[in-house]
Amino acid sequence: MHDDEAMDRLLRHAMAADAPQLSPAFDALVMRRVRPRRLTPMGRVVIAAYIVLAAAAAGWLMRDLSAASIVVAVAVGVPAAAGASAYVRRLAVGH
Amino acid sequence: MRAEQASYTDRADEWLVERVRESADDAAFAEIVRRYREPVFRLAVSLLGQEFAPEAEDVAQDVMLRVHHALGSFRGESTLGSWIYRIAFNRALNVKARARYRAPHVSDQALATTPSQDRGPHDQLQDERRQQAVLACVGELPEVYQSALRLYYWLGASVSEIAVLLDAPENTVKSYLHRARRLLHAQLAERGFDAR
Repeated sequence: MHDDEAMDRLLRHAMAADAPQLSPAFDALVMRRVRPRRLTPMGRVVIAAYIVLAAAAAGWLMRDLSAASIVVAVAVGVPAAAGASAYVRRLAVGH
Repeated sequence: MRAEQASYTDRADEWLVERVRESADDAAFAEIVRRYREPVFRLAVSLLGQEFAPEAEDVAQDVMLRVHHALGSFRGESTLGSWIYRIAFNRALNVKARARYRAPHVSDQALATTPSQDRGPHDQLQDERRQQAVLACVGELPEVYQSALRLYYWLGASVSEIAVLLDAPENTVKSYLHRARRLLHAQLAERGFDAR
């Protein structure tokens, strides 16, 4: 019993350092990583304009191609773009 | 907005979990983070040790992200708190296993505790060495004993608080503390120190 009390005192003394605190930005950091990223209205306009221009440019560039070549290009390009986009989004969220 | 926030602080954990699951309610998850961030951080730092507070904060963040990700699989068989603390305990142990290879286990801050002024330099040096040995010996105890000791002596948690964090009955926590002190006493004796 005596030893236990002595060890109790010694531990209190040895562990007298200040307790650490969480940083004040903790909640904000967690919520930023949890929330899906939403585009601002301006961002949406930019993305929509890019899609329209890209579609017009692709149509113009592929005007001389055969229908089969266009189907192959779309069949390869669309899944590749979707996969790359999902991968980048996952990296950005941090999962 | 403030009234909405107040309505979340009064809600039970189960209600918040349902809100996050069914409507991906950010405010409900923010309330879960607010409730559990401190205990998760304390549990993590109690396992990692005094010199790893930044890593403990990373663990706490990571735990909250895992909780958000896995909330859909939480079946309510235990309380939300014990489920979160179990995730935190396991995560902190993983981080500790990696951190062990990087740094020594005695903090400068802990070593700098002021010895009593009415003693001679030899006694003061002896005190410092004994405290250093105590902290080193704590780091060699089983993880759950380390956690109980740091929570109780360093972070000022009560036995009932430790029981919640370690998901153990209060008597078991008292027994952890008692056995840890006995083991420490033996380890210090092996190193040529007495507890006094």
